[in-house]
Amino acid sequence: MNRNSPSLERLAQLAQGRPNLLAGALSLYKEQEGLDDEQLAALLGCEPAALSRLALCERPRPAPHFREDVERIATYIHADLMQLAMLIRAAESREALSKRPGEDSPVLLAARDYEEFEETRTGEEEPSDG
Amino acid sequence: MKATAEEYDFHQRILARDDPVAFAALAEWLYNPLVQDVRRRAGSHADPALVEEAVGEALLDYHDHPERYIPNRASLRSYLAMAAHRDYQNAFAKELRVSGRQVSLFDPAFREQDIVGSQEMIDSQLQEEELWQRIDEVFPDPTERRIVKLILNKTRSPEPYAQVLGLCHLPYDERIREVRRVKYRITKRLRRGIAQQLDRIGGNVQ
Repeated sequence: MNRNSPSLERLAQLAQGRPNLLAGALSLYKEQEGLDDEQLAALLGCEPAALSRLALCERPRPAPHFREDVERIATYIHADLMQLAMLIRAAESREALSKRPGEDSPVLLAARDYEEFEETRTGEEEPSDG
Repeated sequence: MKATAEEYDFHQRILARDDPVAFAALAEWLYNPLVQDVRRRAGSHADPALVEEAVGEALLDYHDHPERYIPNRASLRSYLAMAAHRDYQNAFAKELRVSGRQVSLFDPAFREQDIVGSQEMIDSQLQEEELWQRIDEVFPDPTERRIVKLILNKTRSPEPYAQVLGLCHLPYDERIREVRRVKYRITKRLRRGIAQQLDRIGGNVQ
C-alpha cells in the first residue's frame, strides 16, 4: 500500500491496543493462522480493503445483542454473516487463550453468545412439523 | 461552528455505544480529511507518518471519551483536527528533543552537521569533504549511500528508506522491521568507518 496517501490501515494498526475494537483480536488471529489480508478477506467473502474497517468496528455485545451486532458489521463490510460470526468467535477465543489464566476477558462470553446465535439460527431453519 | 447534522448523528451513535460500526464509519468518513487538515496546519515539512499517527490517536481518544466533545462548541472535524495537531506538535517536539541529544557519533541518529558543526575538535579534524570521501569508501554500494544520506539528513519516516530499498511491496510491519534492521546495520558501519578515520588523523570521538 502506498504510504504517501493516508489509509485506514495505519489507524487499524493503532487500534490494536483498544480492547473494545476488533483490531487486536483480528491481528492475533491472522498472525496465529498465518493468514494475509487476501486470505482473510476470501474467508469472509469481502474485499481486502474492508478489513481495516472491520478492525475499527466495536466487538459485538454479548447476547441478546450478539447476532444483531454481527449482522450490522457484516452488512457494513459486505461480508458473509456466518463466516464473520465464526471468525469473531475464533479470534476472541484465541485472544482469551493467549491471556493469563484468571485474567478478565469478554471472550468466553462472546463464544457463548455465538453458540446461542447458532442455536437460534438452527431453530429458524428447522422444518415445521405441519 | 457547531457540529453538522451528520457529525451530530455520528456523535450520538458513538455515545450510545450500541452501534458496532459507528466509529468505523466515522473514521472512514473523516480520516483522510483530517490528515489533510493536519498536514496543512503542520506545514509541508511535516512527516506524513507522524501526522497519520496523530490523527489516529485523536480519533481513538475520541472513541474512548466521546463525552469530552461538546457539539455546541465546535464541529467534530475541527475538534479532532485541533486534537490531532496538538498531538502532532507534541510528537514533533519530542523528536526534536531526542535528536537534540543525539550529537555523539555513537548515537544511531547522528547527522553530519552534528559531527562537523557542533564539536570544535571534530570540526578541525574531519571536514565535510573528508567525511563524504570516507562514506564513499565505506559504502561503495549506491543504495547504501542513499540510505546513509537519509540517515545523515535525519529522515525519520520509514517510507523514504523503504523506497530506496525497494521494500514498498512488503506489508507495513515487515517493511518497518526491515528498514530498522538496515538502518541499524548501516549506522553501525558508518560509526565504525568515521571512528577509524578520526583515529587515522589522531582525533577522538566521544
